Amino acid sequence: MPITDAMVRQTAEDLYSWALRKVPDDTKAALARAMEKETKEAAKQTLKLQLRSAELAEQRDKFVCSDSGVPVYFVKIGSAAPLQCDFKTAIRQGYEHLVETIDPPILKHVTNPLTLERGYHGKDMPIVSYDFESGLDYVEMTCSPKALGSGRWAALELFTFPSLEEIETYILDVAIKAGAQHCPPVIMGVGIGGTFDHCASLAKKQTLRPLGTTNPEPTLAAMEERLTRAVNKLGVGPMGTGGDTTVLGVHIDYASGHGFTPVAVCFNCWINRRTRARLYGDGRIERME
Amino acid sequence: MTGTVEHDLRLPLSEADVRALRVGDIVYVSGEIHSTAGIPTHVRMLECLERGEALPFDLRNGALFHLGSYNIEDANGDLQILYMNPTTSTRFNDLMPKLIPALGLRATGGKGGLDARSAQAMKEAGCVYLSFLGGGAPILTDAVKRVTGIGWRDMISHYRLVRIEVERLGPLTVAIDAHGNSVYDDTIKAMQEKRASILAELRADRERS
Repeated sequence: MPITDAMVRQTAEDLYSWALRKVPDDTKAALARAMEKETKEAAKQTLKLQLRSAELAEQRDKFVCSDSGVPVYFVKIGSAAPLQCDFKTAIRQGYEHLVETIDPPILKHVTNPLTLERGYHGKDMPIVSYDFESGLDYVEMTCSPKALGSGRWAALELFTFPSLEEIETYILDVAIKAGAQHCPPVIMGVGIGGTFDHCASLAKKQTLRPLGTTNPEPTLAAMEERLTRAVNKLGVGPMGTGGDTTVLGVHIDYASGHGFTPVAVCFNCWINRRTRARLYGDGRIERME
Repeated sequence: MTGTVEHDLRLPLSEADVRALRVGDIVYVSGEIHSTAGIPTHVRMLECLERGEALPFDLRNGALFHLGSYNIEDANGDLQILYMNPTTSTRFNDLMPKLIPALGLRATGGKGGLDARSAQAMKEAGCVYLSFLGGGAPILTDAVKRVTGIGWRDMISHYRLVRIEVERLGPLTVAIDAHGNSVYDDTIKAMQEKRASILAELRADRERS
């Protein structure tokens, strides 16, 4: 039996809806750990309030945030997954059904950049990227709705044969520029190398990596650790009103490239919207988070 | 809460109410607030004031918060807020220094703060900036008692100027007070001061690993 349009449609719809109501478990655990460690009482209280908000939204099946962002999906297609579907159309239809029926309704945030008109629909919406993976017999779909609050602080710069020092200085400066405004504590995704487009994609995907996972590349694992410490020393704190917790994790990936080296940095706010499901040929849809 | 001063404020506010607040204090707000999340709404307010036209509501001694809300009119014609939550205030950096005195605001707020120009306007006019929890929709919406008015219904939901009666909206943090103190300006200054030492520590860490 193949994976069908109906399964993809349903998953696209559910993933978005879940992402608005549930803060991922790894993120709640990281916020709780940060709360224990915080030395500033006001910051501790803000972290406690964030956890309370997450808990209430989940219990009541309501939104954590009023800004539902724009729909962003990632599709990983296993080479052994049996397929009989038109992903592009099915995901769009799933999203369209969602905006017509979701309770509570979502605000109109899809913006035409040329006219600034806002609605539920627009060119290239939903934004979907596809990837293939050898050997898997399933399709994995991830949804990470993106809103202005943290979205606007992403940055990319092109260097030529940079030293690690130049790279890390740039990453710190992007964090300084975002300051108090991206609903901290945040998750930072960083891409190093490749090309302009590939580097941005690496950074984005790193924001989807679960917190607490160790980078398999030792150089990057050490870089992640020291940059996490460095960004937290900035003192921005939860919601930007001061404290020891500005970032929950810095996640970095790299790619070989030419001597021109892009470095991309992007952020997820504390609610860290991210839901994932696997679709199997026997009709099963397994919610991963 | 140890070491934190809490205030229960009821709108409208006097200048003395506002001057009594200090950066870091925790505030709960009751009474009628005004909310919008739209830049076009702020521009429209300024245009109205410049032309001497009346706004949908008189905001003097009141509060204008940068909150996005989904508001509906139910079958009985009653207004309802389904949810509300702050938006980034720095988007209004160019507009708030004019709007704070022109509207006669005693409180504004949202998330992410306002820049030094607004802090100066707040010091002169007697107004504070309150930091809301971003991603706090369940907690903030619980404080809503009823919607008492929706201005500019020709705009999309979160751009409208909405008048909402709230009971103990909060906890909110005083992030810019009426004495020229701003947690945001302090953080920016501190980050610039610390940058060199943080970079030196990164270098030392790299050399060790």
